[in-house]
Amino acid sequence: MVSVKIDDKQVQVAEDTSILKAAEKAGIWIPTMCYSELFEPYGVCRLCSVEVVRGKRSRVVTACNYPCREGLTVYTNSEKIQWIRKLIIEMMLSRWPNVKVVKDMAEKLGVTQPRFESLERDEDPNACILCGMCVNVCRDLVKAEILGFSNRGIKREVVLPFDMKSDKCIVCGACAQVCPTGHVKMIIEDYRGKKPEFTLGAKTSIYVPSMQAVPRVPVIDTTSCIHFQTEGCEICSKVCEPEAINYKMEDEIVEFEVGQILVATGFDIFDASNLAQYGYGRYDNVYSSLEFEAIVNSTGPTGGKVLLKNGKEPRSVGIIHCIGSRDSNNHPYCSRVCCMYALKFAHLIHDRTKAAIYQFYIDMRAFGKGYEEFYSRLLDEGITMIRGKAAEVVEAGWKREDEGKLLIRCEDTLIGKFREIPVDMVILCNAIEPRKDSDAVRKIFSISKSPDGFFLERHPKLDPTSTTTDGVFIAGCAQGPKDIPDTVAQASSAAARMLSLIAKAEVEIDPIRASVQEEYCSGCKVCNNLCPYTAISFVDEKKVSYVNEALCKGCGTCVAACPSGAMTGSGFTDKQIYAELEGLLEI
Amino acid sequence: MKKYRVQVMVCTGTGCVSNHSFEVRDALEKEILKNELQHEVEVVNTGCNGFCGAGPIVVVQPDNIFYQLLKPTDMQLIVQEHFLKGRPVKKYLYTPPEEKTPIPKMSDIPFFSDQTLIALRNRGMIDPENIQDYIARGGYKALAKVLTSMTPNEVLNEIKASGLRGRGGGGFPAGVKWESCKKAHGSRKFVICNADEGDPGAFMDRSIIEGDPHAVIEGMIIGAYAIENVSEGFIYVRMEYPLAIKRFQIAIEAAREFGLLGKNIFDKEFNFNIEVRRGAGAFVCGESTALMASIEGKPGEPRAKYIHTVERGLWDCPSCLNNVETWANVPQVMLKGAKWFSSIGTGDVSVDPWGGSKGTKVFSLAGKVNNTGLVEVPMGITLRDIIFKVGGGIREGKRFKAVQTGGPSGGFIPESLLDLPVDYEELNKVGSMMGSGGMVVTDEDNCMVDMAKYFLKFTQEESCGKCIPCREGTKRMLDILEKITVGKGTEDDLVLLEELSDWIVEASLCALGGSAPNPVLTTLKYFREEYETHVRDKKCPAHICRQLNEYIIDEKTCIQVGHGCSVCKKHCPDAAIIGETKKIHYIDPAKCGKCGVCYDVCNFNAIYIQ
Repeated sequence: MVSVKIDDKQVQVAEDTSILKAAEKAGIWIPTMCYSELFEPYGVCRLCSVEVVRGKRSRVVTACNYPCREGLTVYTNSEKIQWIRKLIIEMMLSRWPNVKVVKDMAEKLGVTQPRFESLERDEDPNACILCGMCVNVCRDLVKAEILGFSNRGIKREVVLPFDMKSDKCIVCGACAQVCPTGHVKMIIEDYRGKKPEFTLGAKTSIYVPSMQAVPRVPVIDTTSCIHFQTEGCEICSKVCEPEAINYKMEDEIVEFEVGQILVATGFDIFDASNLAQYGYGRYDNVYSSLEFEAIVNSTGPTGGKVLLKNGKEPRSVGIIHCIGSRDSNNHPYCSRVCCMYALKFAHLIHDRTKAAIYQFYIDMRAFGKGYEEFYSRLLDEGITMIRGKAAEVVEAGWKREDEGKLLIRCEDTLIGKFREIPVDMVILCNAIEPRKDSDAVRKIFSISKSPDGFFLERHPKLDPTSTTTDGVFIAGCAQGPKDIPDTVAQASSAAARMLSLIAKAEVEIDPIRASVQEEYCSGCKVCNNLCPYTAISFVDEKKVSYVNEALCKGCGTCVAACPSGAMTGSGFTDKQIYAELEGLLEI
Repeated sequence: MKKYRVQVMVCTGTGCVSNHSFEVRDALEKEILKNELQHEVEVVNTGCNGFCGAGPIVVVQPDNIFYQLLKPTDMQLIVQEHFLKGRPVKKYLYTPPEEKTPIPKMSDIPFFSDQTLIALRNRGMIDPENIQDYIARGGYKALAKVLTSMTPNEVLNEIKASGLRGRGGGGFPAGVKWESCKKAHGSRKFVICNADEGDPGAFMDRSIIEGDPHAVIEGMIIGAYAIENVSEGFIYVRMEYPLAIKRFQIAIEAAREFGLLGKNIFDKEFNFNIEVRRGAGAFVCGESTALMASIEGKPGEPRAKYIHTVERGLWDCPSCLNNVETWANVPQVMLKGAKWFSSIGTGDVSVDPWGGSKGTKVFSLAGKVNNTGLVEVPMGITLRDIIFKVGGGIREGKRFKAVQTGGPSGGFIPESLLDLPVDYEELNKVGSMMGSGGMVVTDEDNCMVDMAKYFLKFTQEESCGKCIPCREGTKRMLDILEKITVGKGTEDDLVLLEELSDWIVEASLCALGGSAPNPVLTTLKYFREEYETHVRDKKCPAHICRQLNEYIIDEKTCIQVGHGCSVCKKHCPDAAIIGETKKIHYIDPAKCGKCGVCYDVCNFNAIYIQ
């Protein structure tokens, strides 16, 4: 700690603290215009000039970066300092007469009119005052080092490298945040150009995933967080009082020992950009069903309003069914839920906008309780149902009066004509398909898949929740496309099955299984890799194979394959069978 | 080594090269071959001789005959007469202005005889691209002495005792700087050579590098040894000096080959290497912090020096930065001793390192003097001696008006202060500075307002623009000066000029802003009446500020001598001249745009300025 004297006030501060901070501690105001705690003091506005006296020498220094030393005497408001500050603000005022921060500072320092005219006078209220805040925050805090100065002297200006958009810019917006005049602005560009996975609007790097998230705490998006891109920033950890921010936290693998497993890994939606004719990813207002679901969600980016990319309400919307499903080139199966959610979308759009709604369907599948009634209600609401699969979506050309709209081309099979419907927004009903990693999951649990790629149940009618592996159950869309009531029913059934096993505490297994006659086993390990249930392992001490009786299903693969005849069905060794035969024949 | 009867030293300094000295050399070599003298006469390319106004220069050794202003076609005569017949060719010899007998010997020419050479001692004597030449002239002897017989502390004390001060401008005692760098904490330290010479018309450092690069390198090695823990050195040269960069690189390569750079120099546990870094040529990069930022690859902008660069410089490591000339002085100090060095110059440095100015200083003499070029003179010499003895007086016998020292941000010194001894403190006292050694002489034909405007325009354009006082303030001052030179100035402007000058000096971030108003301040101080004439009478006494001139045709001369030739009328862009061919012409003052073209084109001096 050192003791410094600022305008007759004695202050104790740590050595090398800046005079500005020491003055703040003493309650003395020093004007600044390029200073921020976010980065190293830059010292260019010179407004914080103060007079320091050490020994007999007095000189003018900037308070923002002059380090305090023992016995320092500082004058922050001497006549000389006032003169220096007034001239600085006069200079600024003559060049940028309409910038608010400059005008405010001039008022504070008692300057109304500059004494000279600047040839570089800039009337813009958002003019750049060359304080360097944006450049410094980009360099010191964000560590992206995108912004910089170019030219010398009076021609100095803030620029991007080579005056071009830089792909090194991580679009963090820190520069726009610190800019005191509003000269630096963020312009949100078309996100479709970069094709992110699922983005519908601007969000911060720290966010709560959804209102239903458990636990409902914020997470850091490492792909957009400044710290994970440049190792800079860390501002959240500086402001978080409970010190809850941990940048080093990583995904970890946790092991649990369990007796039964329910595989409910869900589904993926079909990527509509594979069907280029529908323009998904190319046109602004073509959405997938999941994206539209987010748009109409009241916690979504538009707060539940149905809006186009340009912020206007659509005047017509087309909903195209069976994107990727009921399609011999993609998925032959029906995704089951699309017809009904398409009707729900139509209902919501009808409810919230005045748009005309068109549904393009192959067949309407409104089976089950209350569904057909919902369909009838929608027809009463006045939506247009067009039977016929849409052929393509194109943008209307410049010659047409509906220029800029999207045209849905299709064959209306009910009237037997080709039609072209102009709409503002297109919603695609993507197919439900197995998850991309379902094969890997399948192998872990030794379960099979049906030809469409979904997990295979033990029996389609009599046992739709269990699998061929004991203790492994499946439920929901992992097993096949289904809607919410069906999923709930199937999952409840699986849970009940599992609970009944737990209640019994013991498991009965079929007596039919294989066993090893150790005296004959040569330890060739042929059976180890053949077993479809991974029930056979090798015992290193004895150099023989071993059958886990809980896993063995008695399929007999190993028995047939064993070259030395050591593997037999339990209770069905050759000796036993012969003995049985002998017993029978004697009678 | 082969011995030759005659050695012809052809100057290949930049001044002479731009006057075609390479062509002269080629013609000379051709002539020598033609006369089969190649085994008797050797042609040596040397660095700058300093007498650049007389280039291309050829000096014939051992006779020490000085030839000047040569053309390739002159070589035949020189070879025939001088090398074959042994008679120096009179018509190519130097003749002092207003005299008739030529001076054949270089050492007799006053320009050379009045100089004391330390930093430039090898100029014109060696081939700068040949390390052997340097060694033959006693090069690297100082390094050998230092490394084999002295401890780092002894070296440091010697430098301190010598009173050597930074030649780059500030005049900071080199020994003090080295000592603080030595004391600073840091496992990695640097020595840096500032060769970013940016003053217009100054080329001291360039000549030293181009003429004697090894002296700088030797100085840096000695510095690195004295400061200790230094194994890396940087030389920061501007891109505009391609020859300097090339010669440095050749010299560094040669020094490495000879084991003078690299590991275990002179079998001591001392490793040192030098790297050349090229600057893009910003004037502000001559400032230490901006220079270091530039070496680091950042924009060349100065920063506050509240913590000195000897503690936190390049990459935040302690760094010792000295100018080319300072480093070039070091080997001689070590070789001949501090006592010898401190015997030259003014004051006493035995107690206070700031107490005097020791050794010599190289000046680049430019402007209205007869002998323009580089001169090295002892500290304490008067300005009068430099300008009138070494410089040979003012051109065309005109009257001396002022001399500006220290580059574009130095001040103007009037005639009344001509007997001022040249030393750091004395120059500061009168509002100017030593600077890096620029010296621009002006005569009665120069307008001081225009001169101040010229230099301020340079600093204004070269300001990095980082801080407001320097960026905005210098531009406002320039606007005011512009106003004055076109006749729109008021007396209030002079007051405002002074206020702005004081403010920029006080409030600027670095020394560029801190010294930029010097030309204005000194001219306002010593030549205020000239400003007042501009402002009050709207007249420029030297007729330089054209907007203030009134051009008038002398009727008598126009018709009697020029017969009304009408050339002026043809050239006048404003159609302000009335009159027909063979009759008297007149200028219509209402239309005259004061461009001065008529004055320039009149062949009969019929137009005069009022």
